[in-house]
Amino acid sequence: MTSTDRPAQNRRSTRTEIIEARPIQLDGFVEEWPEVGMIAMESPYDPEPSIRVEDGVIVEMDGRERSDFDFLDQFIADHAIDISAAEEAMALDAQEIAARVVDPRVPRQDILHLTRGLTPAKLLDVVESMNVVEIMMAMQKMRARRTPANQAHSTSARDNPVQVAADAAEAALRGFAELETTLGIVRYAPLVAIALQVGGQTGRGGVITQCALEEATELELGMRGITAYAETISVYGTESVFVDGDDTPWSKAFLASAYASRGIKMRFTSGTGSEVQMGNAEGKSMLYLEIRCIQVAKGAGVQGLQNGSISCIGVPGAVPSGIRAVAAENLVASMLDLECASGNDQSFSHSPMRRTARTMPQLLPGTDFVVSGYSGVPNADNMFAGSNWDPEDYDDWNTIQRDLKVDGGLRHVAEKEVLAVRGKAIRALQAVFAGLDLPPITDEEVDAGIYAHGSEELPERDVLEDLKAAKGVMDRGITGLDLVAALEKGGFRDVAENLLHVLRQRVSGDLLQTSAILDGDFSVRSAINDANDYAGPGTGYRPSGERWEEMKRLRHVLSASNPEQEVE
Amino acid sequence: MTQTGDRHLDPAVDYPLSSRRPDLLHTPTGKHIEDLTLDAVVAGDLSPLDLRIAPDTLLMQAEIADGAGRWQLAENFRRAAEMTEIPDERVLAMYNALRPNASTGQELADLADELEREYSAGRTAALVREAADVYGRRNLLAAADD
Repeated sequence: MTSTDRPAQNRRSTRTEIIEARPIQLDGFVEEWPEVGMIAMESPYDPEPSIRVEDGVIVEMDGRERSDFDFLDQFIADHAIDISAAEEAMALDAQEIAARVVDPRVPRQDILHLTRGLTPAKLLDVVESMNVVEIMMAMQKMRARRTPANQAHSTSARDNPVQVAADAAEAALRGFAELETTLGIVRYAPLVAIALQVGGQTGRGGVITQCALEEATELELGMRGITAYAETISVYGTESVFVDGDDTPWSKAFLASAYASRGIKMRFTSGTGSEVQMGNAEGKSMLYLEIRCIQVAKGAGVQGLQNGSISCIGVPGAVPSGIRAVAAENLVASMLDLECASGNDQSFSHSPMRRTARTMPQLLPGTDFVVSGYSGVPNADNMFAGSNWDPEDYDDWNTIQRDLKVDGGLRHVAEKEVLAVRGKAIRALQAVFAGLDLPPITDEEVDAGIYAHGSEELPERDVLEDLKAAKGVMDRGITGLDLVAALEKGGFRDVAENLLHVLRQRVSGDLLQTSAILDGDFSVRSAINDANDYAGPGTGYRPSGERWEEMKRLRHVLSASNPEQEVE
Repeated sequence: MTQTGDRHLDPAVDYPLSSRRPDLLHTPTGKHIEDLTLDAVVAGDLSPLDLRIAPDTLLMQAEIADGAGRWQLAENFRRAAEMTEIPDERVLAMYNALRPNASTGQELADLADELEREYSAGRTAALVREAADVYGRRNLLAAADD
């Protein structure tokens, strides 16, 4: 540069000013700091893989002697790792294992025979040798269920059951297989969980619902049949953070069996960044610690895991290769044959481009639940602190599915159908509230709820009366069966049948198997009878037939025969 | 706990049990799954206990999980089969007792004994004893009162 081109002091280029006004500038980025664990993956402080087995017991793992094992090491060594597979698998080069995982010609089952014998550090080495496209290739094969699915959030800033019922019904109609709610005021939980269940079964019989709460309360709602499954059973990758969460791998394993003993589907939750966010990552990378969580889930015998950073996504999102690490953690869950509900469920970026890019590693290959969950309510009403995907994005999602011919689980639904199902859901809830002697839902609330986008458009409810009634639901021992009876009595026999079908499922235990969901005709689809059979081009799940025709429909599509007309 | 004996469930043939083998499915109250109808609900013939899973069903699902190569999941179902007999409140209390620093070594030993004695829950008892051992080593037991 010569002296004459030197920029004038304080003068900004118009382009820089435009770039600096873009939404991406509101995102937070930090340098890596591996010493405290502020690093997504590829940390110099992660352990080297090793294993030593004596008399059928792992006596050394990843450079640590058994006497020095923390409780995660011990649980993983004794419950997660298959010792009969370990020595052969550990002897293979990590890059060779990665190549087999990516290679479509190596069957998924062969990979599972290797991965069941790997230690956390070795699994880390395997996925660290992959770039993000290889991670997606691997996910396409390793996902447990052949058919991908999706999950929605249905919550309300005012914990308004009317809103939750309407939005749950709409979400179910749009194709979500699972619906999740949580609360602002925890005491509202029984009423909101009832609304979610009634709304969900109105939208599409067989959708399954959960209410994210403290572990013991969540279990109680499940035992009563007010919810159908559970997900927020958190595990952490360091002992100190696990203890801060007031649990251990053994208490969580006990809880897993407790759910199964009541016939209730359940998965654990974990994610990169939680340990460093909670202040004790022990100087290890986020991905290494997450792999320990995944193996705890495996060892506990739980069928699946929600991971993909989840509520900590801002942490890996802020460091280099963080979103690649998140894709890798989903893959490791699938490589260990667990159902993977793959995150994308918390707002982490102001940039629409970045939000979309962040979801591609799950949407393109498909996961068991691509988003867990997709917000079925506007951001202000999302009590999980906002999702990466909102109802305003429904048509974008549907268009991306159609553009790329990838199945993200959703479909376009005409407004008149949406309004009809919202109305029916609220009226069904109105009948249930009346039948159970809960505070009435007025016709004004029904009308507002049908057309509302968010909670502020609904009449305010008497919160104190609702909370009193919510306590009554628990004290009176109301169960899912009471909801069925109230629905039938209120004239909603079809919704009552739907709910009874879901409750009956727990008698069969079929939903307890890996990656299980219920179809529209209440048939179970899991990694057993719908096992992923991807083996390269032309194989595995591909949208076809009726489903592909459904995916072609959007809000505005011109007719081929009459360009003046839009297709219905 | 009895095993499923010589039924030899094949994941590829017998799953889902609800559609392929409804003949095997009963509630702990002895009702057949096909008896769980809306008319029965309306008539007041069903109680929440009729919507519970039977221990034998969990053992069948364990056999299916084993057949699909998922031995940890199968083990979880076998513990679950043992736990079907434990009342809801007691299950919640046991879970809370297993939280870190919640119980003394003696309390966990007593819990394991109770599981074995009251509920024939040997696998679950073993999990509790293992926890007590690890908690002792990692300093996660509650201090004894005395």
